[in-house]
Amino acid sequence: MPDVHSLVNEFTIKLKKRKIEGSKTTAKQTAELLRSVISQQRIPHTNQAAALIDAVKAVGEQLIAANPVELAVGNIVRRVLHIIREEDLSLATAAIGGLSLSAASDDEDDAEQDDHPVLSAAAVAAAARSTLRPPSLQTLLEDVPYSAAVPHNSSSGGDSEGKSKSADKSSRSRKLKHNVIEAVNELISDIATCHEQIAEQAVEHIHQNEVILTLGSSRTVMEFLCAAKEKKRSFRVFVAEGAPRYQGHVLAKELVARGLQTTVITDSAVFAMISRVNMVIVGAHAVMANGGVIAPVGLNMVALAAQRHSVPFVVLAGIHKLCPLYPHNPEVLLNELKSPSELLDFGEFSDCMDFGSGSGSPLLHVVNPAFDYVPPKLVSLFITDTGGHNPSYMYRLITDYYSADDMVVQRRPAF
Amino acid sequence: MWRRSASFVLDKQQQQYDDVEKQESSLLSSTTTPSMAETLQNPSPKISAYYQTRAAHHGVVTSDWLAQAQAAVGRDPDDHPSESSSKSNDSGKPFGVIDDFNNWRKQPDLAEAVAAIRALASVIRSSQATTMMELEIELKKASDSLKSWDTTSISLTAGCDLFLRYVTRTSALEYEDFDSAKLRLIERAEKFGEISYKARKIIAMLGQDFIFDGCTILVHGFSRVVLEVLKMAAQNRKLFRVFCTEGRPDRTGLRLSNELAKLDVPVKLLIDSAAAYSMDEVDMVFVGADGVVESGGIINMMGTYQIALVANCMNKPVYVAAESYKFARLYPLDQKDMVPALRPIDFGVPIPSKVEVETSARDYTPPQYLTLLFTDLGILTPSAVSDELIQLYL
Repeated sequence: MPDVHSLVNEFTIKLKKRKIEGSKTTAKQTAELLRSVISQQRIPHTNQAAALIDAVKAVGEQLIAANPVELAVGNIVRRVLHIIREEDLSLATAAIGGLSLSAASDDEDDAEQDDHPVLSAAAVAAAARSTLRPPSLQTLLEDVPYSAAVPHNSSSGGDSEGKSKSADKSSRSRKLKHNVIEAVNELISDIATCHEQIAEQAVEHIHQNEVILTLGSSRTVMEFLCAAKEKKRSFRVFVAEGAPRYQGHVLAKELVARGLQTTVITDSAVFAMISRVNMVIVGAHAVMANGGVIAPVGLNMVALAAQRHSVPFVVLAGIHKLCPLYPHNPEVLLNELKSPSELLDFGEFSDCMDFGSGSGSPLLHVVNPAFDYVPPKLVSLFITDTGGHNPSYMYRLITDYYSADDMVVQRRPAF
Repeated sequence: MWRRSASFVLDKQQQQYDDVEKQESSLLSSTTTPSMAETLQNPSPKISAYYQTRAAHHGVVTSDWLAQAQAAVGRDPDDHPSESSSKSNDSGKPFGVIDDFNNWRKQPDLAEAVAAIRALASVIRSSQATTMMELEIELKKASDSLKSWDTTSISLTAGCDLFLRYVTRTSALEYEDFDSAKLRLIERAEKFGEISYKARKIIAMLGQDFIFDGCTILVHGFSRVVLEVLKMAAQNRKLFRVFCTEGRPDRTGLRLSNELAKLDVPVKLLIDSAAAYSMDEVDMVFVGADGVVESGGIINMMGTYQIALVANCMNKPVYVAAESYKFARLYPLDQKDMVPALRPIDFGVPIPSKVEVETSARDYTPPQYLTLLFTDLGILTPSAVSDELIQLYL
């Protein structure tokens, strides 16, 4: 088995060189890398969860810094951290259940160990749970209202248990790692099957004889449309070609191969065609915490057109695209400027870009941004592998999938 | 012929003095205009005199401002004049909780909900109850009397509800005997001040991320949380400028601008009616809240609604900074669907008795005009508020 370090470095370089295309593959590879990090991490006897979290965080920061535009990396790192916390908690509560039983039998031993006897088991469990849960009004008045104040509460449960039986604990540490790896495996398979999960819902949204508009090419969208077609829906698809990469052409080809009635239009014809469209279905690069979408360039225009004509604007996004960050400043949003060669042929325009002559700076500039930001107002519906969601409810999914601690910790290196 | 006959005009004015006035005016029809002029001209003969007196007033404010600010610090900026007036009405009512609450409330840096919870804690301390149930009933009574004593304060109601909920809900209490449970409750209540302080810090941490270099922020009203956010941003060497609305009638904006000037933040004062005029320069609107209601909308100082409307019109984000203990189980359907919080307004000139004055101190901003809420529970969309409330109360 290769060393983790070299694996991490290799992946970092790939990310830096933008060798990995698409957030799905990135997410999957990140999860696989973190799995091997976890499996090779030596775990101390106490505070195993903290050790794992530190290890994952260290690698995670490196990966996020390698390609901050690819938000999927950060998302997966946070997911894995959340998994570790969750597994640790479930083990801790299980252990505490056993502890309070034993405490009933030998009371005097337990009483000298800490000042609050029987109640402490329940209190520790509650505290541990509240560190994992996002803060809420319910926990506002409780003893540990802020998780940051008490970093690793669950470990105290592990310690008090460790005093009684050490043999039991080593099995627990192995169990934690095992459970975490199991859960990460589940995450990987979730990422792998997210297309199918989303596509399953296609018939609920696409109706007979409808006209669907999409821009560029997204595998999720293609599977979604094909799934509806397979279930004997007949509908038409308008594909905006998605300049400058013209991925729409690729999508159109595939759709035609599956027997769908397809029309290719230019991006600039979207407004002209939108009045005939029943629904816009697009993919996304990332979904932000406020319900805004970072999407391939051109989609903001499509969203505006859709809103102008009251056409539902539906975004398909696997759960790995769900990012717990907010787009603080739309102007300098995590965007990427791609090579100008996609727009212009260098040979034809080399005169305009002559650096040697005159003032030294060329008169011609080419800007080729990769992404658009679509504000939550313009999105009608998100379809994820767990179902349809309103933009204002994305925060809900985020609290389900990520721990509050990780968002804050990871944000600094990401920016 | 169509003519406007709004019923409220008829109700209020005609019935009051129309009959009497009519007789008088019919008798002295030629003298009506002079008499009107007389009432207007009472302070000074020209209209510009109004502005002159205002200017003079401001002159006093600028020179003598610190002394005034010191006096103002003693009061909670929210809606106190109304409360103090109602206090004088109800002061004859002898009830320990209320007195206690008022004592706490007088402290300058204490939030309303903290005062409420501390008052309830003293109820527990002096309680003769021997069972949890008795104590709960006693607390319920105390909080009811507190709530009915001042129906206009939302965070008082929310704070009482929150604490009662904690008493009935907390599972940890079940494991203890009664006395230790009582002690624990008191201890938690005492800590609440700290919690509220910490909440402000958390909000500041979250909120300051939204402030970027070179941005212009419009702030309406004086809110300790908003000030904390701006303070934190200034400490983190963010370069931004702030527009403060004047915040009539208690001129809360002046106080905020004073505080910001101390922090060396460039600040500009606007009159309240200049919100739309200067909105194109503004990048984001920051407001505090007296209360956050179940719809996700906020109840805040008069003028918040119109600023939110203008901001929404011009596609500027409206951010609300509010501690989560201000979340209240209210669902106002429109502006008038709340207990009005009245406050005297000083216009600088005597107002003729015929002229009605809108003295409501606050308005309701519906959730569709708010972008995000910064709370100690995290950054929430307005729709998340009801979620949190449902989790607590169901």
